[in-house]
Amino acid sequence: MSAIRLHKALGRVWASEPGWRGWLTTVNHTDLGRMFLFVAALYFVIGGILAMLIRAQLASPRSAFMGPEVYAQVFTMHGTIMMFLFAIPLFEGVAVYLLPKLLGSRDLAFPRLTAYGFWCYAFGGAMLIFALLAGIAPDGGWFMYPPLTGPIYAPGINTDFWLIGITFVEISAICAAVEITVTVLRCRAPGMSLDRMPIFGWYALVTAVMILTGFPPLILGSILLELERAFGMPFFQVAEGGDSLLWQHLFWLFGHPEVYIIFLPAAGIVSTVLPVLARTTLLGYGWIVAAAVSLGVLSFGLWVHHMFTTGIPHMGLAFFSAASTLVAVPTAVQIFAWIGTLWKGRPALRLPMLWLLSFFATFVIGGLTGVMVAVVPFDWQVHDTHFIVAHLHYVLVGGFVFPMLAGLYYWLPHLTGRRRFFRIGEIAFWLVAVSFHVTFLAVHWAGLLGQRRRTFTFGPDDAWSLLNLVASIGSFVLAIGFALVILDVLVNALIAARGTRNPWGAGTLEWAMPTPPAAYNFASLPEVADRDPLWADPDLPVRIARGEGYLAGAERGRREILAVDVASGRPVQVVVLPGNTALPIAMSAATGGIFLGLLLKTYWLVPLAALVVAAMAIRWVWCLGTDADAGPQAVGHGLRLPLASDSADPPGWWGSLFLIGTSLTLFGSLLFGYAFLWTVAPNWPPPSYLHSGWASPALAGIGSLLACLGIRLAQRRLRRGRLPLVPLGAVTAGCGALVAAAVTVMAGTSHDAHAYDAVAWVLAGHAILHAGVPGLMSLVVLAAALRARLSAARSGPVHVLRLWTDHAAAVTVIGLVAIWLPGWLT
Amino acid sequence: MTELLRIAAPLSLWLASFSAVYGLEGLVCSDAWTGLELDSGAGRAALVAAMVLAVSLQAGLLVALQGQRFGSGVPALRRISLVLGIAALIASVWTLLPVMLMPLCL
Amino acid sequence: MLDPAGPAAETIARLWWIMLAGGGAIFVLVMALLLLAFRESGAEAGAGARRERVWILGLGLGFPLTVLAALLASALWVGERLLPRPAPEVVGVGAVARQWDWRFTYDDAPGRVTRGVLHIPAGRPVDVRITTEDVIHSFWAPRLAGKIDAIPGHVNVLRLEAWAPGDYAGASSEYNGPGYLGHGFIVRAHDPEAWRAFLADAPT
Repeated sequence: MSAIRLHKALGRVWASEPGWRGWLTTVNHTDLGRMFLFVAALYFVIGGILAMLIRAQLASPRSAFMGPEVYAQVFTMHGTIMMFLFAIPLFEGVAVYLLPKLLGSRDLAFPRLTAYGFWCYAFGGAMLIFALLAGIAPDGGWFMYPPLTGPIYAPGINTDFWLIGITFVEISAICAAVEITVTVLRCRAPGMSLDRMPIFGWYALVTAVMILTGFPPLILGSILLELERAFGMPFFQVAEGGDSLLWQHLFWLFGHPEVYIIFLPAAGIVSTVLPVLARTTLLGYGWIVAAAVSLGVLSFGLWVHHMFTTGIPHMGLAFFSAASTLVAVPTAVQIFAWIGTLWKGRPALRLPMLWLLSFFATFVIGGLTGVMVAVVPFDWQVHDTHFIVAHLHYVLVGGFVFPMLAGLYYWLPHLTGRRRFFRIGEIAFWLVAVSFHVTFLAVHWAGLLGQRRRTFTFGPDDAWSLLNLVASIGSFVLAIGFALVILDVLVNALIAARGTRNPWGAGTLEWAMPTPPAAYNFASLPEVADRDPLWADPDLPVRIARGEGYLAGAERGRREILAVDVASGRPVQVVVLPGNTALPIAMSAATGGIFLGLLLKTYWLVPLAALVVAAMAIRWVWCLGTDADAGPQAVGHGLRLPLASDSADPPGWWGSLFLIGTSLTLFGSLLFGYAFLWTVAPNWPPPSYLHSGWASPALAGIGSLLACLGIRLAQRRLRRGRLPLVPLGAVTAGCGALVAAAVTVMAGTSHDAHAYDAVAWVLAGHAILHAGVPGLMSLVVLAAALRARLSAARSGPVHVLRLWTDHAAAVTVIGLVAIWLPGWLT
Repeated sequence: MTELLRIAAPLSLWLASFSAVYGLEGLVCSDAWTGLELDSGAGRAALVAAMVLAVSLQAGLLVALQGQRFGSGVPALRRISLVLGIAALIASVWTLLPVMLMPLCL
Repeated sequence: MLDPAGPAAETIARLWWIMLAGGGAIFVLVMALLLLAFRESGAEAGAGARRERVWILGLGLGFPLTVLAALLASALWVGERLLPRPAPEVVGVGAVARQWDWRFTYDDAPGRVTRGVLHIPAGRPVDVRITTEDVIHSFWAPRLAGKIDAIPGHVNVLRLEAWAPGDYAGASSEYNGPGYLGHGFIVRAHDPEAWRAFLADAPT
């Protein structure tokens, strides 16, 4: 078949709907990647405008431009928007757009989930922007320390917008992270073993796993603080056994990994772009993978360095000071590996390279000041001053925005298919690169002189008066520079001349397609035998377009990709992806209903919306099943593979696995919080513990046994070709018993009496949710069994259910025992 | 998946032992410790014992991951897992050394 | 904090200048290596293994580990010296923060409460026990010492000392609401005579 005919056949299957409907129903990663990038850029502009308001206010002493209340909203929203609505979603956008193309796949593993995540982001972000425009935005600082943000000192709705809006947005981060993890592990080109994977794949994998383990503590913290605010459950109120330090631990357990969640994707871009522009390969691929993994894990051991001034014993601080200095080592490995790469090659001073140089200059300074603030006594002085403000801008702008701009200019020809013609970008670069340092060196110095962060003005006699004027002037030039970047991108995207394919002479697969890319990426999936397939075989793009790879065209009239073995990249399954659908946007709107109900305290809306979400989720998974075994499918080159729906581990199983990992991190954070309050909070022990009697523990024990044995029996029966109706019923009953046991805990405690009781309610509620979900799932699987949608081959749903059942039994039993234990001991 | 575990295991073990020692230090310095009628000497002994345990576990994992039974068959991944094993061992010593040198709860 | 008026602040300021010099040198080194990569002569010869040894083992691992070990050791040693260890001559005072004022009590003059001004003797170590009635604040007198937070339900102790009599500005330095800017206090260090007079409740 000719390349043109292949293109047409694939286009018919993979195209989004025409017109505006296409935006709402698309599940294609190229579309959604662009949407993520566009919306993230929009929030960057909004956050930037807020930054300009801050600098305008601080330009002169005793400025009457803003009062303290408005200023508090502005600085809180600047930080919140840049962190949660710009940086993380921008990474998601880059990964969603690029990953399948780099990995040689046609789409991500869960296209509808990408769309669902995007719409949660869009709706959640809109909630916060509404609050900003209405003048009721959060105002407690972006890390929201209670008691200042608790019910007593912040009674307004402002704080609720943060807690509820950000949690809503975080759903999108979790969705994207599951998506990226499973895609990197399972959806690569045939033959792309882990050690042949483009380096960005490793960075994306580490980042995604970090999101899965780093976000749960914050989600938990937000839930606890919102429960305290809405229902008086005293997690952070010292009089009733809470402790405000718990928030700081939970927040920074998230907050420090967050810094590396932001930096690592940018480092991935540096590792991808820099060797190409130096016309060589990356020095020390294995070392860089090891460094990225080390950063990912080490960064979870740093959180207390944001709490050096909270009165933790010096030995405790020393652990974290040591870990914080240590984390500089893998960073140094990467920096020197990159410089060594430049020495190895023949670097060309193109625009992306300029941005990379600016990244080096800025990020190295940010890293050095980072090591300085890891030194405990120095941090005692500069903590909460403008020195910290300047340090974090050096790290985040230098370590994230500049590499992202390098990436933007590097992949712009890919996004638009055009050659850059207008040279506004070079002017913009110099404006930004110079004025950034003018601005933030001044801010450093102001901090050293004693200017505290978050003070809304200063007096004319304060030593930092002139420095602030310098910083403000610098920041306005900086803003002009960024505006020019946007202008440059727009004019070059819209009216520049068509460019050639692969303008940089890169070796990775995203350049093996015509640009801008077609919805299906590759007309056939190439066999990969090298880390830079295009350098190994310059004719590869033509051979792909001619259909000489796997899964050429769309012969079966549906969207198909390959799943591969994790380590070796050997193809193992054909995955059939869903087509355009409005289900994701509808489901995220319904999810928004839950959050809106909580925000406005119209609690009747919450269960109603949850019901709608559950119904849609059932419809969502129901579509994945089939009525008959399809048998092996021809994928080309004489290879025949089973469909994912005919396999024991379809992508949904892998997604569930990682989602359960996330859920366990949240549960672990909850247990940590419980232990923390027990040992550290002043007003413990509580007046009385819950005495469980024997009936509830027996119920929990029987329930977990029933559920775990039932699902195992169901697996065995199905393997032998029999429908496991009774065992599935046992799973339902077991989950029901677990829920009932948890309800007795709630009945025996009073949620607002003491932090112990409040924790008991949360653990019980957690158990009800996590036992209820597999209970409901078992009914769905039962229905599938009755409709003959299960067989010995099509056993995926039962395996997925087993993951969730085991998880439910574990967290329910551990959680309830944790509550009952003190009662048994006393 | 096992390949990934080989890569993730060493530093994850470091994270677990690091957090556990920090938690133990919190416990030693809390009222609960005095409530158990234990003194600071016992606290120091517990912390040092925890550190020794953590470092030996780390060393054991390093050896195991290079051995025949648990090591990776892919040379590139084996090297990455070796580097990370050494890194985690260094991290354990580096970050837990304060239990030997610093005052307990000041 | 760059103009120290007490031993703790002086130690930290000295630490800063040393770190600035060291950091500056490292920055210059890295930038020089970076820019040298662009020199005309182009690619420098050398086998891949040797290159990895130089760039990754040498510069990436060896160099930072050495520098950081030295820095960490000195930082912890400095930190140790700043801790409020029991010592003769130590004066105990209490500080209670709330939105938005500070009240101070004195171990040597029970019942005595001052608002907005903390009186201390010059030339003697002072332990400030810091807590709060409402939200989180932070006690910071930059010319004398670092800061420590005032956290509900907890009492944190900060050691400070002023060399000479005089007034030293202090402020809360953890955002605590709209009155944050003005939430300051003054540390007034007295010579021995004035300190005795203050304790004896004479007008100061």
